[in-house]
Amino acid sequence: MKKIALISLLAVILFACGQQPKTQETTVEAEKSAEVLSVDDLLQKAPELADNEVVVKGTVFHVCQQGGERCFLMGSTEDISIRVEAGEKLGAFTQEQMGSELEITGILKEVLTEADAHNPGKEHGEEEGEVEDAETAAAHEVLADNQAAAERVFFIEGMKVKEMTE
Amino acid sequence: MKIRKLLRILHRDFGYFIVAMTIVYAVSGIYLNHRHDFNPDYKIIITDFTHNLQPQQSYPDDEIQEIVESVQPDVVYKKHYVDNDGDIKVFIANGEVILFPGSGEGRMRYLQRRPLVFSMNKLHRATLGTAWKWVSDAMAVILLFVAVSGLFILKGKRGFKRWGWWLTVAGFIVPLIFVILYL
Repeated sequence: MKKIALISLLAVILFACGQQPKTQETTVEAEKSAEVLSVDDLLQKAPELADNEVVVKGTVFHVCQQGGERCFLMGSTEDISIRVEAGEKLGAFTQEQMGSELEITGILKEVLTEADAHNPGKEHGEEEGEVEDAETAAAHEVLADNQAAAERVFFIEGMKVKEMTE
Repeated sequence: MKIRKLLRILHRDFGYFIVAMTIVYAVSGIYLNHRHDFNPDYKIIITDFTHNLQPQQSYPDDEIQEIVESVQPDVVYKKHYVDNDGDIKVFIANGEVILFPGSGEGRMRYLQRRPLVFSMNKLHRATLGTAWKWVSDAMAVILLFVAVSGLFILKGKRGFKRWGWWLTVAGFIVPLIFVILYL
């Protein structure tokens, strides 16, 4: 039993060490020569950068109080901001990072609205040979119009964090 | 080796091993249960103070720094900005300050990590990266084993069939009632 326990413990330690978690202090990996964008520039170029890896720099002006799983980077004013999800790799942000300048690498994603998820055009399109009644078609048209008029919201799935020190 | 004997040995040894994690989950579980009553990770110290800053377009860093340090000398000023209402939000290490130039009032929120509990909460929430996710899964399986194996260890008058079963059922019913009532 003791042998089993010792071997198990050793296996756990080796496994944990072997994972080499990407901690927030890790910056030794060869960095891509990606352009570092400000929050304002990122939001301006967001539609074309969606689903791509981006690097953004900004001041943390809010860290989620329930566990720090997300934070918000501020742009030139407090009305311009982007949400960053810590995800599995980063774990969590800390309250101590409030007010710090962070350079975050991650995937820019678009928040899909319910209308977008429903996606009436594809789900019930002509390709499926589905025939809509007048009421359903009208409802889908309203959804599509709402979706088109809605403000597009983006966020970042964080992969790497570098704290900028002055 | 008989099954019951093996179960007893494994229950005992895994039980010793999992004591620390059980304490972590239990203690942090209590703090996290009360996350809407108080911050489970940080103790928040709020200080209200007054200042003589007048409303203006912008404020020099050193002036803000001076005000903040007058409230608490060991505070480390990071930066500040003026919000849409004209109030000044100041970031400090381990906290934040808000200054209301119009009224001359200010409020400082200083955060102190709860010793031990902060780390326990991070372990409980599994926000320590991918490796911990798998290790804590293994710990949970061990805990599950210790719980279930405990049902079958004792024989006789105080064994599961004659004594333990109704206590076990009661233990299921308590959370079940809440699930039925509130879900």
